[in-house]
Amino acid sequence: MWVALLGPVIVLLAHLTPRAILASLSAPGSLGPLAVSIEASAVALGVLVVIGTPLAYLLARERLPAPRLWEAGLLVSLLLPPLVIGLLLVFMVGPATPIGEALSKIHLSATNTFLALVIAEIYEAAPYYVLGAQAAFAAVDRRLEEQAGMLGDPPGRVLRRVSLPLAAPGLAMALATGWARAIGAFGAVIIIAYHPYGLPMQIWVTLDETGLASALPFALVLLVVALPLPLLAYGWSTRARARH
Amino acid sequence: MLELDIEVPRRRFSVAVAFSVGVGERFALFGPSGAGKTTVLEAVAGLVGPQRGSVSLAGQLLWAKADGRRSSTQVPSWRRGVALLRQEPSLFPHLSVQANLTYSRRRSGTADLGRLVNLLDLEGLLDARPSDLSGGQAQRAALARALASDCRALLLDEPYAGLDAALRRQVTALVRDEVDRRAIPAVLVSHELAEAQAFADTLGVIDEGRLLQVGTPHEVVLHPTSRRVAEVVGYQGFVAIDGAIVGVHPERVRLGAHPRMGPVLSGRVVRARPAGTGFEADLSVGGAELTCRLEAGIGSPGATVEITVIDPPMFRPDGSVVSQHREVLA
Repeated sequence: MWVALLGPVIVLLAHLTPRAILASLSAPGSLGPLAVSIEASAVALGVLVVIGTPLAYLLARERLPAPRLWEAGLLVSLLLPPLVIGLLLVFMVGPATPIGEALSKIHLSATNTFLALVIAEIYEAAPYYVLGAQAAFAAVDRRLEEQAGMLGDPPGRVLRRVSLPLAAPGLAMALATGWARAIGAFGAVIIIAYHPYGLPMQIWVTLDETGLASALPFALVLLVVALPLPLLAYGWSTRARARH
Repeated sequence: MLELDIEVPRRRFSVAVAFSVGVGERFALFGPSGAGKTTVLEAVAGLVGPQRGSVSLAGQLLWAKADGRRSSTQVPSWRRGVALLRQEPSLFPHLSVQANLTYSRRRSGTADLGRLVNLLDLEGLLDARPSDLSGGQAQRAALARALASDCRALLLDEPYAGLDAALRRQVTALVRDEVDRRAIPAVLVSHELAEAQAFADTLGVIDEGRLLQVGTPHEVVLHPTSRRVAEVVGYQGFVAIDGAIVGVHPERVRLGAHPRMGPVLSGRVVRARPAGTGFEADLSVGGAELTCRLEAGIGSPGATVEITVIDPPMFRPDGSVVSQHREVLA
């Protein structure tokens, strides 16, 4: 099963030669998309952590009005094909929309810009991070939070001293999933953020212009760049769970 | 003093109770599982909101709400200074025992913590994680944490479940001493009568959300004010005599006829078995089956025996109390 899941990666490695990798990566400007992808994904993840973590906590503790409606909203964005999310984002933040017009007044645009790439990545990764973080908070025994409160901690301190440390292993996994989704985002990106190229766009464009052999090295780069954070998160999460 | 008069809606019934516990007083709320005991403690601790009523502690109103109105006063749980020790120790699993003990921001002094650690035999466990502790050790650590929090009221929700009998006695004595020393009100809920009796000055019997009787443990057990209270505190047989119903507690039965001590019943042995240092027998008396504990054996099944029920409570058919047998004799 494990080998079957890794099949595409094994095929990728089998089709790459050191010479092909060097040739592709030494072409002028070829590493630019790597920097764009890392920067955009880091910003997207930062936004997700700041906005998505409190949302996940409130959902887990059912402190939002109509919690099922909020969850349904997240699931809908998970169910929509990323390409459709991209199309809908054009209608939401495109230049002819109120948001687009408001952005243009402060000299920003949410199409074919770094901002557009970040927005597309956020929308593709958000349900994965928020639902994962919600599950992590829901797994924290509510009685421990109540106990901390009775020992004198107001809700903010309970969150900091009990909920977050206990949810941290699950949050790390949610973060890793969110990162993987953000850096690999393509469907929404190709619609609203064709430029600047991130790695997925670079792969697509190279494939389109020069063929599969030239595109594959970038796929390897994407893998190498995206993989360490999930691996670290998985390792840390496993150790932290064992300690508890 | 802790004073409460609350009504908390639950799925099957509302928990509606009113009682007060003085400083240094130990109150036990005793009743069957699901009677609403834990709900009462959670209302005092601020974990559930009553539909109406009030809770006050040491003269401070913690909760007040008139029927159907929004809450007019609500002190959140973190400002109440109420310690609740539950059946599950709820130690923070990511912290050491030491960090658990010093968690509270209202902590009492270091010397006091050292004394509690010593009394509860936790010295060698301070660096351990809760997952490394046995059930008894975890419960002792949780008790130490509750007492170290310098609380204004101590609430104990079936707290001795993980402890063996010897340790229960030791911990009960320790809690009694601590409540005396700190002069705080303490409420224990339990479905084990012996545990409630060992702890309390005052015993309240609760069933289906209603406080049926409040008195000293001795008074409640020997003089239940209704048949339901008698059933809850352990009367297992009810025999009709002359239009009244006699409540028979298994431990208040003597073999043979002793009419000055109580009514004499004649019955047939259904089964008998050793129990503790004596015997326990099920007897069939006038169509009712009752259990009694006796010092001596009473023969094999089928044998006819006479027993005396010592000063039993007597009830009307509707369950209300008539009197004690002694009063009838007088």
